[in-house]
Amino acid sequence: MKYILMMHCPKTGYDTFGAWPKKDIQAHMAFMHSLNKALRDSGELVSAEGLDNPHQAKLVRAAKDGEPITDGVFPESKEFLAGYWIVEVASPQRAVEIAAKASAAPGPGGVPMNMPIEVRQVMSGPPDELQ
Amino acid sequence: MKYILLMNAPKAGFETYRAWSQDDVQAHYAVLQRINKELSESGEFVSTAGLNWPDQAKVVRAGKDGAPLTDGVFPESKEFLAGYWIVDVETPERAYEIAARISGAPGPGGIALGMPIEVRRVMSGPPEELL
Repeated sequence: MKYILMMHCPKTGYDTFGAWPKKDIQAHMAFMHSLNKALRDSGELVSAEGLDNPHQAKLVRAAKDGEPITDGVFPESKEFLAGYWIVEVASPQRAVEIAAKASAAPGPGGVPMNMPIEVRQVMSGPPDELQ
Repeated sequence: MKYILLMNAPKAGFETYRAWSQDDVQAHYAVLQRINKELSESGEFVSTAGLNWPDQAKVVRAGKDGAPLTDGVFPESKEFLAGYWIVDVETPERAYEIAARISGAPGPGGIALGMPIEVRRVMSGPPEELL
């Protein structure tokens, strides 16, 4: 079963992240790299990506003629997707376990952040009842 | 440059989606499949996936001891990720163009949904200024 683990970050978090001491950022990144490596070694990692700063995000809709209408992103949103992992695991419990590991990534002063990670199953096609 | 196109659907939309007629659902998927095929042919396709219903989603945090604390998903959220595309394109404008195609996928009665698609750049690593 495939799961996506989504790391949501408060919008303000993006700005404060840049202000962390360099060694805290490096410890955070080192933690993420070692988590990714462990998942790669166990054969569970499908992909992992970080996303650009939400200030760069755009919201796009099709106009009546199909042309893109581009806006800045949801101004009222308080949380943004910072990055995600897609994992292929034997059980939902294992996806939850991996999410908890990611949640505990160190923040300023090396203190675990315990940030919320949204866990959603990735479908290989539309649900059967819709076919 | 890689971009992720996030299809966010209102939470209420998931319920109404279940009530679409079979013809409408099939027409919707046919358009999305055609877009995927075109992106594969142009070499811009990286990956796509649909996510399971949001009532199956969990939010996970690490407890003090690192063990997972599992909750239902953000109850206050009005929007949920329904699915995403990752594309590898020459310009951001091309990513917006593809997002507009997806946004224009048909809904009930074949009417273009015009749903908002969030477009975010996928980074290959942390920003250089943070390293």
